[in-house]
Amino acid sequence: MKRYHDIVGDGGSGILEQVAELRGRITDGLAGVRHIVAVGSGKGGVGKSTLTLHLAGALRARGVRIAILDADFNGPSQARMAGVHGALFVPGRHKVSLPRTMNGIAVFSMGSVIPESEALDFESAAQGESHTWRATREFALLGEILASFEWGALDLLMFDLPPGAERTVQYADFLEPLKPRVSFLLVTIPSEVSRGVVARSVAALSKGPNRLLGYVENMSGYYCRDCNAIKPLFESEPAGLSIPCLGTIPFDPELARHCDRGLPLAELPNTRVGRALDQIAQQLLDSLESTTEPSQ
Amino acid sequence: MKFLCVPCDSPMKLQTVGPPERGSLSIVYSCPECGYEIAMLTNAYETQAVQSLGVRIGPEKSVADASGEANASAAGCPFAAMIPGTQDVQPSRDHSAEPAPVRWTAAAEARLANVPAFVRPMAKAGIERFARENGCLEVDEKILDAAREFFGM
Repeated sequence: MKRYHDIVGDGGSGILEQVAELRGRITDGLAGVRHIVAVGSGKGGVGKSTLTLHLAGALRARGVRIAILDADFNGPSQARMAGVHGALFVPGRHKVSLPRTMNGIAVFSMGSVIPESEALDFESAAQGESHTWRATREFALLGEILASFEWGALDLLMFDLPPGAERTVQYADFLEPLKPRVSFLLVTIPSEVSRGVVARSVAALSKGPNRLLGYVENMSGYYCRDCNAIKPLFESEPAGLSIPCLGTIPFDPELARHCDRGLPLAELPNTRVGRALDQIAQQLLDSLESTTEPSQ
Repeated sequence: MKFLCVPCDSPMKLQTVGPPERGSLSIVYSCPECGYEIAMLTNAYETQAVQSLGVRIGPEKSVADASGEANASAAGCPFAAMIPGTQDVQPSRDHSAEPAPVRWTAAAEARLANVPAFVRPMAKAGIERFARENGCLEVDEKILDAAREFFGM
């Protein structure tokens, strides 16, 4: 009697072939992208999205062709922060055009088309059992987005990942066919709780052939504009992670205000935050151009 | 998943996909050797698991054309997009309070198909709003190009 592998195809739908076809379209769609950097953490609320956007701004100011994919479909924030929450997804002859920020960063964010008063919702008959299928559905949607939008020729595509150490690993698995162009940049804050969670993400990513560029410590002190000094924000002892630190960024309320209003960092010239981001941007470029092998 | 006709030792072919009903699909396979037919009846979780992959369920093109049964009517069914010919079927709504309808030329419709199905309704509504704001009740390629230019794409 024939076994599974003796039979070619599945007799009709060609489900595996459809999945492979989508994979091929993703690869083709990203053929012009030199580097993909996934910005993750594991911990929520550490400023992944803020760092992604403003690091992209600092890189863009250096002439880097760059795009951001807000992969946090359930809590998208890039649309508001980048000032593209009213933008449309306009179809071209072959691909869908991406909205751009004032400084020329292409941005995909579900927040462009779903109002903040609404939640991302998928129709389903498996009522109340979304834990059994939702992640699969979201990754299928991510695949469709990568395959359908016009990424074009880019030096760097940044993924703004959702929180969750396990989600970070799922993205590493999803992006695996695009290696070796894929790297990870992790974000933490100077609290022991955050470092602990991010250390778990480092451990989880290190189990596979993932390239970890390093981490950024965000909210590394509070920038007081009155006295032009950095003051402590957390009381934890200084400690690092087992991967390189690309830099530290102080908390600046003015930056938060810019994020809420969708203003680029260029409007905060020559500030502590601006200088810190610029240094991290250079470190990131240096790391990307280095020949570091993936951790294993 | 594959099905084998044990007496013939022959892989069975997908023939038809029945109309989705309360989350269940009825997928009929037959043996090309002896013609024996079986039906796979999925429960909602099985259907959902496959739908979540973003794939479509249906027979090979030639079989579908021959049977003519694959294009099941499935208005309002969450699995409509899985079955060839039933995607983009929208449940009927009360249009009394809605703005004047906007027509789409065939060429603009063809472009719209490039937008992933999940975000297509939002993209379509946004472009129609843009068209109305620009005094047009028809979306053609010129309107799409104007929208691209307006948003700096």
